[in-house]
Amino acid sequence: MFVNSIADGAADLAAAWKRRQLAIYLAWSETVARYRRSTLGPIWLVLGTAVGVVGMGFIWSILLQQDMESFIPSITVGLVVWQFISGVVTESPGMFVKNATMLVNIRMPVYLITLQAFGRHLINLAHNLVVVLAVFIIFPQYNSWTSLLALPGLLIVSINLVAIMQLVGILGARFRDLEPLILAFFPILFFLSPVIYRPGQLGAAEAIMTFNPIAHYIRVIRDPMLGVVPSFGSYAIVLALTAVTVLLSLWMTGSRAYRLPYWM
Amino acid sequence: MARMKLEGVGVAYPIYNAASQSLRKQIVSISTGGRVSAAKGQVATVTALDDINLDLKDGDRIGLIGHNGSGKTTLLRTMAGIFRPTRGRMTVHGRVSTVFGLGAGMDPELTGYENIMRMAMLLGATQREAEASIPGIEEFTELGQFLAMPVRTYSAGMTTRLLFAVATAVHPEILLVDEVLGAGDAAFQEKARQRMSDFVARASIFVLASHSPDLMKQFCTRMIKLEHGKIVSDELIPPDPPAEAPATEPLKERTA
Repeated sequence: MFVNSIADGAADLAAAWKRRQLAIYLAWSETVARYRRSTLGPIWLVLGTAVGVVGMGFIWSILLQQDMESFIPSITVGLVVWQFISGVVTESPGMFVKNATMLVNIRMPVYLITLQAFGRHLINLAHNLVVVLAVFIIFPQYNSWTSLLALPGLLIVSINLVAIMQLVGILGARFRDLEPLILAFFPILFFLSPVIYRPGQLGAAEAIMTFNPIAHYIRVIRDPMLGVVPSFGSYAIVLALTAVTVLLSLWMTGSRAYRLPYWM
Repeated sequence: MARMKLEGVGVAYPIYNAASQSLRKQIVSISTGGRVSAAKGQVATVTALDDINLDLKDGDRIGLIGHNGSGKTTLLRTMAGIFRPTRGRMTVHGRVSTVFGLGAGMDPELTGYENIMRMAMLLGATQREAEASIPGIEEFTELGQFLAMPVRTYSAGMTTRLLFAVATAVHPEILLVDEVLGAGDAAFQEKARQRMSDFVARASIFVLASHSPDLMKQFCTRMIKLEHGKIVSDELIPPDPPAEAPATEPLKERTA
């Protein structure tokens, strides 16, 4: 049963991947639509992040008594990765409900809806990378070949996020309390994750970072950009979580996703 | 060769109210040993289709009639593969396309052209096929410059033109249609009817759910009547008048 469901889920994912052109078109046109009537358009995405980075970098470097040259690159990557993860996770539980008209009127792979929603977050991330790039040009002290290790980190985290989106999306369509629950509690994780600070700065309390998966997601992307090769432990945890969520989401898709139209 | 076979197909789905659709209830029911959810009447089940037997082959032109809520749309959605039957077996050979819930995937902020791409691709066209369908849609809708404007600036009739044109731009083997020819001015109605005829003629199997006896007579050769999710009658539509009987009955339903 379990294996059959996973195979069904994988077939759905494969069918969605075959139509990724459509997912990209949907994601892109929706982004365009959102900014069409504003003069600066998507530049607002970049500006918002830039203002956040400058503002928070300034305040927190004084509060934490850090020199800005090493602090600003760290908080920039931290914030951008946090926004990416938080955007994906908080959208997930309401995603299928929002796309109910498609689900009940057109036969389509369920993963297609997840791929287009994730595509939008990737487009946002790409805009924010402009800020990251600018910061690392202004503060070049960390730049090295090690930085390239951030790319495989980003790839694993992305795969994991797609799986989480699908999983939480299906659960959120069935259990409508999941969305307010996540919206209420997810923001607290901001302070429990090493976005502003780095795990090393917590001293004895660093141990709590071991149990926060988001800390590891941030590390496998941010550490290389700060010239540090991420620890084996972080990679192991991120890979293990990815494997588990991918399997769970495939199983959930294969065994439950066909009921989504009934739940709308 | 297109074929669609339904054997004893039934669709029943639970209606979750706030109580049963919440996580708390599930957690509570776990902690109290399932007593809460065991209470009867918590989850109402709607049997939308019951024991449907149909064998559709090439050339079949089916008209579905019945009161509101008799199961016409559910049957179409089941045939389309959107609802999975909870009982019975269904086998489908051939590419299925649906013309209902028009406007799924439409974004009013985007232009007509952008929406053509989105909706055509959602209906199964590749990007290239969607692009290729544009000249035909331009000609049919006569929307001209408006196609480059956001759809939110369209009147209801203009939107209908666009939706109808996109829906009929992709050619499936099995075509499922829920009453569509409603809006638009008289000239457009005539044009839409013409396009619909071509569209239907190209499909191997055609199923139309409608309250209009005229549409039934024009496009269908066989009429199936649903009541409470069951087939209550299944008869051939006589090709020519005197077809008084099937023409008046649905009319009565409509006014009732």
